[in-house]
Amino acid sequence: MIEAFKGAVDAFSSPVTIFTAAALFLTLFVSFPKFFVSKPATLGMVILSGIFFFIGLTDKHFKSIVTKPDNVPIVAMLFIFGYFTWFSLKKAVTNDALVAAGKPTVEKAEAEQKVMVFPYLIYIEFVVALAYSIGLVLWSIFLKAPLEQPANPTISPNPSKAPWYFLGLQEMLVYFDPWIAGVLLPTFIIVGLCCIPYIDRDTKMSGFYSYKGRRRAIIPFLFGFWLLWILLIVVGTFLRGPNWNFFGPFEVWDVHKVVPLVNVNLSEFIYIKWLGTGLPKLWLIRELPGIAIIGAYFLIPPAILAVTALKSVYEKLGAVRYSILMILALTMLALPIKMYLRWAFNLKYLVAIPEFFFNI
Amino acid sequence: MPPSSPKLYDNKKTTIWFSITAIVLFVSLVAMVLQDSAREWKEWQVKFMELSREKAEADLREAEHKIDSAALEKIKADREKAEEDLKSHRRQIGELTKESEALAVEQAKVNARNQELKQEQDSDRYYYEEFRHKKEEHEAEARRKRMETRQAELDGLRRKLDQLETAAAAKKEAVNALSGKVTELDKEMARMTEAAGRIETKVEKLTPDWRSAVLNAPMLDFIKPTLQIQQIVVEGLRDDYYFTKVPKVDRCVTCHLGIDQTAFTDAPVPFKAHPRLDLFLSPDSPHPMEKFGCTSCHGGSGHSVSFTTAAHTPRNEEQAEEWQKKHHWHEMEYWNAKMLPMNYIEASCAKCHQGTVDVPQAPKLNEGRRLAGTFSCFGCHKIKGFESYWETGPGLLHVQSKLQQDWIVRWLQNPKAFRPSTKMPRLFHLSNTSDPDSADKNNALIAGIAHYLIKNSEPVSLENVPGKGDPETGKKLVETLGCLGCHSAGDKQANDHGPELLNLGSKVKPEWLYSWLKNPKAYHAGTRMPDLRLSNEEAAHITSYLLQQKDEKFDSLRLPAVKPEVIDQTAMHFLTVTMREEQALEALKTMNEDDRLEYIGKKAIIHQGCFGCHAIKGFDGAAKIGTELSEHGSKDVEKLDFGFVPIERTRQAWFFQKLKDPRGFDHGKVKSYFEKLRMPQFDFTDEQAEALTTFLLSMEKGTVPLEMQKRLDLKEKNIEAGRFLARQFNCQGCHTLDGETGRVRSVITEPGDYPPAIDGEGKKVQPQWLYHFLEHPSVIRPWLTYRMPTFGFSEERLTALVQYFSDLAGETPDYKREAVTPESPAHQAAGPELFKSFQCIKCHKSDPEPGLASSFLAPDLVMSKSRLQPEWVADWLKDPQALQSGTMMPAFFPDGQSPMPNVLGGDAAQQIEAIRDYLWAFDKAEAANAMEKPEAK
Repeated sequence: MIEAFKGAVDAFSSPVTIFTAAALFLTLFVSFPKFFVSKPATLGMVILSGIFFFIGLTDKHFKSIVTKPDNVPIVAMLFIFGYFTWFSLKKAVTNDALVAAGKPTVEKAEAEQKVMVFPYLIYIEFVVALAYSIGLVLWSIFLKAPLEQPANPTISPNPSKAPWYFLGLQEMLVYFDPWIAGVLLPTFIIVGLCCIPYIDRDTKMSGFYSYKGRRRAIIPFLFGFWLLWILLIVVGTFLRGPNWNFFGPFEVWDVHKVVPLVNVNLSEFIYIKWLGTGLPKLWLIRELPGIAIIGAYFLIPPAILAVTALKSVYEKLGAVRYSILMILALTMLALPIKMYLRWAFNLKYLVAIPEFFFNI
Repeated sequence: MPPSSPKLYDNKKTTIWFSITAIVLFVSLVAMVLQDSAREWKEWQVKFMELSREKAEADLREAEHKIDSAALEKIKADREKAEEDLKSHRRQIGELTKESEALAVEQAKVNARNQELKQEQDSDRYYYEEFRHKKEEHEAEARRKRMETRQAELDGLRRKLDQLETAAAAKKEAVNALSGKVTELDKEMARMTEAAGRIETKVEKLTPDWRSAVLNAPMLDFIKPTLQIQQIVVEGLRDDYYFTKVPKVDRCVTCHLGIDQTAFTDAPVPFKAHPRLDLFLSPDSPHPMEKFGCTSCHGGSGHSVSFTTAAHTPRNEEQAEEWQKKHHWHEMEYWNAKMLPMNYIEASCAKCHQGTVDVPQAPKLNEGRRLAGTFSCFGCHKIKGFESYWETGPGLLHVQSKLQQDWIVRWLQNPKAFRPSTKMPRLFHLSNTSDPDSADKNNALIAGIAHYLIKNSEPVSLENVPGKGDPETGKKLVETLGCLGCHSAGDKQANDHGPELLNLGSKVKPEWLYSWLKNPKAYHAGTRMPDLRLSNEEAAHITSYLLQQKDEKFDSLRLPAVKPEVIDQTAMHFLTVTMREEQALEALKTMNEDDRLEYIGKKAIIHQGCFGCHAIKGFDGAAKIGTELSEHGSKDVEKLDFGFVPIERTRQAWFFQKLKDPRGFDHGKVKSYFEKLRMPQFDFTDEQAEALTTFLLSMEKGTVPLEMQKRLDLKEKNIEAGRFLARQFNCQGCHTLDGETGRVRSVITEPGDYPPAIDGEGKKVQPQWLYHFLEHPSVIRPWLTYRMPTFGFSEERLTALVQYFSDLAGETPDYKREAVTPESPAHQAAGPELFKSFQCIKCHKSDPEPGLASSFLAPDLVMSKSRLQPEWVADWLKDPQALQSGTMMPAFFPDGQSPMPNVLGGDAAQQIEAIRDYLWAFDKAEAANAMEKPEAK
């Protein structure tokens, strides 16, 4: 029974199924927020994840990975972030109902009361600080710092993994060249986060938890944070084994596993498979289709959207801020698109110019 | 403003939480400190202290037991009595003491004054010199005067001090005279209980008390803890941390506390003493602990003080499991220099002991090296240190004169089927090539090799056997001439240097064997087989004996059918390595059947590397086919392919498995025939495989700097060169030499028939004689049937051998010998007389009569002057047993005393000299003369 369950989980696990399933779940989550914060759904999610971990921990391999001192924070992160997402949505649902009923929000009601900073704030903060110290001390007692043996350059650890908070980036390296996955995308994440207050200057429905009025902001955030950041960290930590091969959660990490790598560039698709003419010698001509596609991707949809679905947004933000928003949003979307292209067509690069190490 | 919502802002509740968190935090901090200070090694040190205390207490009981209690009681009683006597003098002593004290006070005063004046005197001297130098005469004069007066006072004080000292001594003596007896008895008592007292102090030190508890308490243990990490810093050696090299620090002794103390020989691990303190760790052993440390031999991580991180290696799976339970042990994956399991520990010796044939006290390593040589590992693998090793397999340059093609085919199918003791490994029909398809390929390749070898060899002219030899005589000759010094034959198994003489009738032709016996080098110039100088008859007898035995079963083995299409396939495989398929087909078409067979034979020889052991035409200087093993002991485990074989992931397990089943790592793998593993099956026993694994582990990347390794001086180098030759030509197959007993002795019943022991030969014989003897051996002991063979040594080897014997005996070869002449006419006269009296000629006969037991025969003394060293003859006469224990030569001068008091004043040394001098004048005529005389008597 348990073995069958584990086998099924392993068989189901692949980057594409996990990503798609997570995307579907997110869609359901944002479509039916009221259901997901209701008591039975909450209980159900807790029980299901509990059962999964309970069964999982009976597996020697799963246990060794999950309880590794390096990985414990990531397991904790899953529950902590899940809780906070659920918590904020629950508050938002309550407030949405209050707003709909024309009543003041919870935060507004609370803001009516006032107390002194001391003792009512500082004292509590101090106690919380003590509690945190206890947590850290106990952590240090029960989970040893993952200090390892002196590094041996002739036997590098396999898999060689980045610190857990960078594993999302390392996972992106599967699909993009380092200059994109390691430089461009992280820069865009930071710049994008900085841009938020300049793009989203809407004060309506702000200052308290709300969902209905801010769906356009919340859904892209949850997509970017949960799917493109947390999920990639989870995949990188638990499901990437030796040689960065993908393994199911209960699959033993075999160093010698061989997986075919048959990825093909877009230019090869076009010139060899479809046109049958062979690759042009000049790189510009060879890569013209890819460059054109990328150009089109960044130019055409924003232009169309500006006069159709996002007309109001365009008018509100103006050309410059609208362009910035579009560049950021399309770049974010480019990651899952590239991932799906890889899974569906084994596409390696849209633009591949090894002549000067430029690949997209 | 008070809070309106008590639910969130209840101060009392916060206070309760504060107290709870404060207490929990305190407890957890204490737990943290305790956990931090609890270390594995401290537990071991506490246990060791307990153990040493128990030992010390036992020693104490023994020491107390040893004290003569009766004597002690008596002294005690005496002392009491003396004390009693002293009572009457108490007053007197009291007065004397008081006076002494007064004197001491006076003495102190005078002394103080003396010191003060001396200081001022020194100061004035400085100023006096300064002023005089500056020519300030006035000031200088004043100082001088002051010094003068002060000097007078100083002299007075000196005298006073002397007087006081004398007076004090007198008083002390007076007191002693009165109470001396008590003091003396006290001393006596202290002396008797001294040993026990010393142990008692030790026990006290080892008993834990509140002081050690405080010093070892967490947070206080920085002051002066009694539990401390112990370490040895090894000067000159460095540990490689890959990005930096740090001085070798071995902290093993933190837990292995009794390792260098004989008292802990039977203690439990980890306190047990090293089993070979005579060889290791002790300050007077060749490898003292301070200089060598621990990890330089054992491996492991010396800096670590925990069981796991020290990189301990379990002996086997069971021990690994036990350790996992007991010590939470796991392997140190990235630490390259893991501890060597004890059964392979000798591999470490080679870190420093290089360039010798054998390493002293390392039998397993030596055996491994020897096997690597005899089984010719270096034939396929490049191995450092085996560059000048000899050719191990028989040369095949003229094989068509020796063997039949069919015999080669049968032999290659399975060499051990013909001769179970052969060193030739099996190359075909092994575990990974036994499927029908591979079997076809095996047979094709075998046929190809046999064909190639016969076709590509040149005939040599063979002599016909003169007449029919007698097998019985031949058997006797084989057993008595010296063949057994290298070969085994029948039930006489003493040597395996050459092939066992078995079933030769199925193998070779009489003409070949006869010619080979007569002159081996005519068939193959590089052979190690020497020439026994056989007469035609002897050679014929031996030939008929050796060819008598046949292996009918082997002869009747059906030759495997070789499918022509398999030959073509195989040829195509080899051709397509360098050609396109079409070209290859073209090339194949131009070859007839013979050519194809020869072609695949040649390629098969390259594929299997036959030329690694055998000289084959067309393969001069061909590259070795195997991987280099010179640094295999440091090879990353990750780079070894364990396939699907369920063994430990360690180097030693891999080596062992590979040696036992060379093709085993192919099991379960999908490979084409020519991709498969090629190492042949040697059928090593477990002991052999373990010895070879030890050898492979010893082939490490050099980590010990040259100046710290054992370096050979010129003499040692000469000896090693000789040892190499002795191994190559199997000297110890017959002779007892260099600590090894002549192996052939085990099949000789009469000790007098043993080939001579040649230990100390360098001292015994003259170098020029030895040189000529090794070049052209002559008969020294006519009663011995064993013949010293003619090896045909080159001049270089002859010189090396002579040098070897000299150096081994601690001599310098001296080719310029002064003539030996008698000191005086008296000596000259005494020589023959003593010679006669001792009846030397009785055993040392020029032509021994038949029938006398060979134990009572000795070499002809006429040879002495050209053969022996005069000093040796003197030493030999003095005490033959000292030079060669077990010799039948009688000791004529026991304890340096002569039994003949009338000759030369009975002086043994002079008599010996006289005999020796006579031997240098002894010739054939004298011998004949001497032979007659005892008979006349």
